[in-house]
Amino acid sequence: MTEHEAVRELLALAAASALNAGEQRRVEDHARACPACARQLEAWRALSGALRRLPTPVVPAELVARTCTRVLAESAAAAERRWDDAVLVFLSLFAWTVGVATWAIVRLMNNGLLAVLDARFMQPMVWLTASSVLAWLTAGVVAVLVGHRRRMTWRSL
Amino acid sequence: MAEEDSVVTLVTRYQHRLYRYLLRLVRDPATAEDLFQQTWLRVVQAIRRYDARRSFEAWLFSVAHNLAIDHLRRRRLESLDEPPAEPAASDPDALERCLALERAGLLAALMNELPAVYREVLTLRFEEDLKLEEIAEVVHAPLSTVKSRLRRALEGLRSMLEKQV
Repeated sequence: MTEHEAVRELLALAAASALNAGEQRRVEDHARACPACARQLEAWRALSGALRRLPTPVVPAELVARTCTRVLAESAAAAERRWDDAVLVFLSLFAWTVGVATWAIVRLMNNGLLAVLDARFMQPMVWLTASSVLAWLTAGVVAVLVGHRRRMTWRSL
Repeated sequence: MAEEDSVVTLVTRYQHRLYRYLLRLVRDPATAEDLFQQTWLRVVQAIRRYDARRSFEAWLFSVAHNLAIDHLRRRRLESLDEPPAEPAASDPDALERCLALERAGLLAALMNELPAVYREVLTLRFEEDLKLEEIAEVVHAPLSTVKSRLRRALEGLRSMLEKQV
């Protein structure tokens, strides 16, 4: 490919200011010495200029107002959902803590601090912890499924 | 109240550019309106993930691009692939005569006949004045692809303009 042919390939992009500094200089240097390429470059520049001056479509009346109303309503609903989620998590944690702590508190109040560590206390504590872990695993799976469903809903907006 | 003000300010500031971009891409005013609203819903939902070091415009158009492309794919209204390159036009005088018709809206009408990927790159470069790197970010394509699309889009448009004479 000759220099002339190579530069012709770049003329449209040169007019669109889409070349790097080296390529742009190469095109301009060649165009100064080549009337045919200079005319082509001018033609591409005319097209680029016309594209920059295309009339901007008119935004429909009330579109901005309708959009703001919808966005703010959705934002408020999302904030409410986040609050509901936080309350749910707090209540779950609270219920779990109360469940685990009740047995320890009762033992502590009846028999003192050492009673918390004896074997008769530890055995039910192991079962209680195991059942709590199973319950939380189930809750975790449910949370993942709910989260996935929400992401799907979000994507479809 | 602060959130409301921010939303109103942003939507108002970018209304013309975003609507124009969407309309050029989907060509249907009702669809562009719907996608306009969906874009802002998505922007507000994802605003915490926005990296302030990036250009907000590029991010906004990128969100709009994803929604518009999803829409075009779902509806299968037109191909999103790049068509084979057409031979480049070569008559500068014919082009100049055609550009005189620009005032009659011919250029915008012809641009509408280009494939979506070409309309998109033309509007982002010339109407939205985005840099090529920003366009690459919006359309999720390498810089070389953006350059190639831009050149083919200009050649396609010029060829169509010259056929009008």
